[in-house]
Amino acid sequence: MAVDTFTTMIVILVYLVMILGIGYYGYRKTKGAEDYMVAGRNTHPLVIALSYGATFISTSAIVGFGGVAANLGMGLIWLTVFNIGVGVLIAFVFFGKRVRTIGQRLGAVTFSDLMGKCYNSTFIQYVSGIIILVSMPIYTAAILIGGARFIEVTLSVQYEVALLGFAVIVGAYVVLGGLIAVMHTDAVQGAIMAVGMSLLLVLTYVYLGGVTTAHTALTNMADLVPAALTAQGHLGWTSMPSLGSPIWMTLVTTMVLGVGIGVLAQPQLIVRFMTAKDDKALNRATLIGGPFILMMTGVAFTVGALTNVYFYQKSGEIAIAAAGGNVDSIMPLYITSAMPDIFVVIFMLTLLSAAMSTLSSLYHTMGTALACDVWGRGRSCALSLKSNKYGIFIMMVVSIAVALLLPGSIIARATVIFMGLCASAFLPVFVNGITSKSPCVIGAKASMLAGAIVWFLWTAFFHAAESSALGLCQYLFGVPALLGQPWSACNPLIIALPISIIVMAVFQFRHNRNMA
Amino acid sequence: MFGIPDPTIWIAYLLAIAFACACVLYGIVNWNKGDSDNGS
Repeated sequence: MAVDTFTTMIVILVYLVMILGIGYYGYRKTKGAEDYMVAGRNTHPLVIALSYGATFISTSAIVGFGGVAANLGMGLIWLTVFNIGVGVLIAFVFFGKRVRTIGQRLGAVTFSDLMGKCYNSTFIQYVSGIIILVSMPIYTAAILIGGARFIEVTLSVQYEVALLGFAVIVGAYVVLGGLIAVMHTDAVQGAIMAVGMSLLLVLTYVYLGGVTTAHTALTNMADLVPAALTAQGHLGWTSMPSLGSPIWMTLVTTMVLGVGIGVLAQPQLIVRFMTAKDDKALNRATLIGGPFILMMTGVAFTVGALTNVYFYQKSGEIAIAAAGGNVDSIMPLYITSAMPDIFVVIFMLTLLSAAMSTLSSLYHTMGTALACDVWGRGRSCALSLKSNKYGIFIMMVVSIAVALLLPGSIIARATVIFMGLCASAFLPVFVNGITSKSPCVIGAKASMLAGAIVWFLWTAFFHAAESSALGLCQYLFGVPALLGQPWSACNPLIIALPISIIVMAVFQFRHNRNMA
Repeated sequence: MFGIPDPTIWIAYLLAIAFACACVLYGIVNWNKGDSDNGS
């Protein structure tokens, strides 16, 4: 990196002191379990919006999916449409207010607690807690890897040291300050991200000669798409892949629908709604949330695709070749080599902020799921500050271990896995729980288990990207996936979610009929 | 449009911007609604 190491260290030190200072503020403001778990249910709209957005957008969205856009093209912008339309507009307007009202009325302090109380079932609370503890460490590990990889590239720190330092610093303020610390640090980090991504967009277009010039240059590079991608339906970086082709299936079912719909059922985001004092706070937060997400994923996917123009003009290579074949390295490489020195520091803070804000929320969600929903379920220790702090610490250690075991190029894939499982298992149960007058508990159990089991079976035996990596299908049946194209490219969510919806709907319909 | 020949790409850009504007409008229109004091 060309930036002076001393300057970089000073900037990072100031940043860390500020973040840890906010963490201390959270520690001082935390007087009881409700403060630690749901930030006292009295959070400012600006903090809710920026915290929601910063938690939503991680290094995975910027580094992982930016790299995917560099590889597959601007078709990924459909994910931004879903991120804003579903992830903000529908989430805040239709779900947020119900979650806030019900959460406050029932005194729920975690997502699983909310589900358990909606259905009056500790089993629902327990199972959803277990699903969080199984799936979230993979996503958390992906966030850790993304952050550590960027620190490794920019600060020339050994990868393992970067990973450990990053994980422990975030863990420190989450353990001490709870959700007040998490949300307020998120808000500051969200503001930094907004500045960084705005600069990234403007500087990229300035560097490439303007909006139309940059896009036209990318359009004209269509014949440079590698033959292997062309054979799978890639038609160029400014075009959607060929309809129904393997790349189209991956882009639409895994990236756009998998992540776009999956966001509705993410426990760490749903908890944000319970931190609002009233609906007015959520109305005001919506105003900031939409443009914020546009400036995050919209910019990452656009700039990601345009990195091909930069690398081609600079070295005659497309982005994936310049990054040595590693999709996750494209965005860090672009930022460190294309951006002016002074802005590299800002982008470094942007990516650090993106990683830290998501990581802190995941630590908090996993730790409270362990202490409150699984270990302390139905007992007084569920709301003990001490046990929740231990819970967060344990899940931090688990996440570090998973991060050290996961392979490279995993960031975007792990995100998809987490969101797919969450949506398949939680979404119908969650929506039904907050909308039905008399939610059917047997239906919720059946829907949650059906969604999780079908998702796992499709992941292990049909979706080639995961089944070939897991090796279970190869071991049992001698083939990497049981079905060929297009099914082998169809994301598990597309199969599992409709099944869990049908199961929930059938049971709820019967329940309503019996009640009438 | 803007150097992007495929309408399914630039329509997505327009939709993303339109949804972001809808969020802003919703926030402005409902700025003072849903106060805990008036119970609405």
